Amino acid sequence: MGNPVTKDFLHFEDLHVGQQVDLGKTKVTKTMIKTFALEFDPLPFHIDEKAAKASLLGGIAASGYQTGAIAIKMALKNFPGTLASAGGMSITDLKWKRPVMANDIIGGTVTITLLKRARSKPQWGIVNLDFDIKNQKNQSVMIMTLNNLIDVRNPEIGMEAAS
Amino acid sequence: MTMWFEDINDDDSMELGQYCFTQEEIIKYNKEYDNQYFHTDPELAKHSHFGGIIASGWHTACVGHRLMVDEIKSREEAMVAEGMIPGVSGPSPGIKKMTFMQAVRPEDCISYKLTVTSKRASASLPGWGLLFSTIIATNQKGEQVFQSDVASFSKMRDFKPTLKQRFAMWAVKIPLFKRLIKR
Repeated sequence: MGNPVTKDFLHFEDLHVGQQVDLGKTKVTKTMIKTFALEFDPLPFHIDEKAAKASLLGGIAASGYQTGAIAIKMALKNFPGTLASAGGMSITDLKWKRPVMANDIIGGTVTITLLKRARSKPQWGIVNLDFDIKNQKNQSVMIMTLNNLIDVRNPEIGMEAAS
Repeated sequence: MTMWFEDINDDDSMELGQYCFTQEEIIKYNKEYDNQYFHTDPELAKHSHFGGIIASGWHTACVGHRLMVDEIKSREEAMVAEGMIPGVSGPSPGIKKMTFMQAVRPEDCISYKLTVTSKRASASLPGWGLLFSTIIATNQKGEQVFQSDVASFSKMRDFKPTLKQRFAMWAVKIPLFKRLIKR
C-alpha cells in the first residue's frame, strides 16, 4: 500500500466541506485566445478580428473550453497543497454565463461542496469542487462542478460512516 | 449542426471523426493546463492506479470540440458549393453533464459522434433556438470513454419577430439601451 508520489499530497482526510480556494488572477490575452482557438476551437470570432467585431460578441472572445482549461489550471496552482487526485469522474452543470473578452482578467473561487467515501472503493473518496469564475468586473463568466476521486490516507478508518 | 433550427430533428446525428492521442501531445497539454503527475510524467504515473500516463478529461473534451468545429466547417463548405445556405450555429451556453468513463492513454484513437436529443426556442434570444446534443467518444476497443451533454444556440430560418421583439433586437444594438436591458 501507499503511493510514494502522493504521500505528502492532500488526502480526503485533509479536506472539509466549505473549504474555499481563491484562484488568483489570469489575464487572458489576445495571443492566448488565438493560440488556444487555433488548436481546439478555430471559429472566426476567436481568431479573426473582423469576424469577431461583426459577431454577437463584438470582439475577440476566448473559447469556453479555454476558460475551463484555465480554471482547472488555476485551481491546481492555488490549492494549498497538491491534491492526491485519483482522476476526475464528471463535470456537471457547466454554464458559460458571459464571454471572456481579450485582456479580461479572470479569477474566482473553487469551493468544496461535497466529501464522501466511495462505497465500493475504500481507498477513495469523492470530492465535489464548485468553480465560480469571474471577470475583473466581478461578473460570473463560468460555473461548473467537478466530481473528482481523491485518495483516502487511512482506508480502514471511517468506512462505517460512508454513505 | 449545419442545418437550420427548423430542419433539425431529435436523433439527427453527425460523426465527428477520429483522433489519435500521442504521449507528446498529452504531456504538452497537461504541462500547460492540468499539471498532475499521472498526466505529465510517464515514470511517476506508473505509481498511480492508472498504471501509466493518461490524458486530461478536459483535453478529451477539447479535442472533441475541435473535431466538431472541423466537421461543421467542411459540411458548410460542401453546402455552399452546392448553392445552399447553411444554418448558423451560435455559442454554447453550457454542458449539463460531462462524464469521463475510461482513461484515454497515449496511442488511443478516439471516435466522437454527436446526436441531437431535443430542441426548443430560446427564451432569452429571439430568433434563436437551443439544441441539446450528446457527444459520445469511443476508443479503438469500442469502449465508451467520454460523454458530454451539451447545449448550443442555433439560428432560426423562418423567424418573424413580433413588434416588441423587433424593438428589443434593435434596442440591444444601442449601448445605452443595452445597459438598461442588462439591469
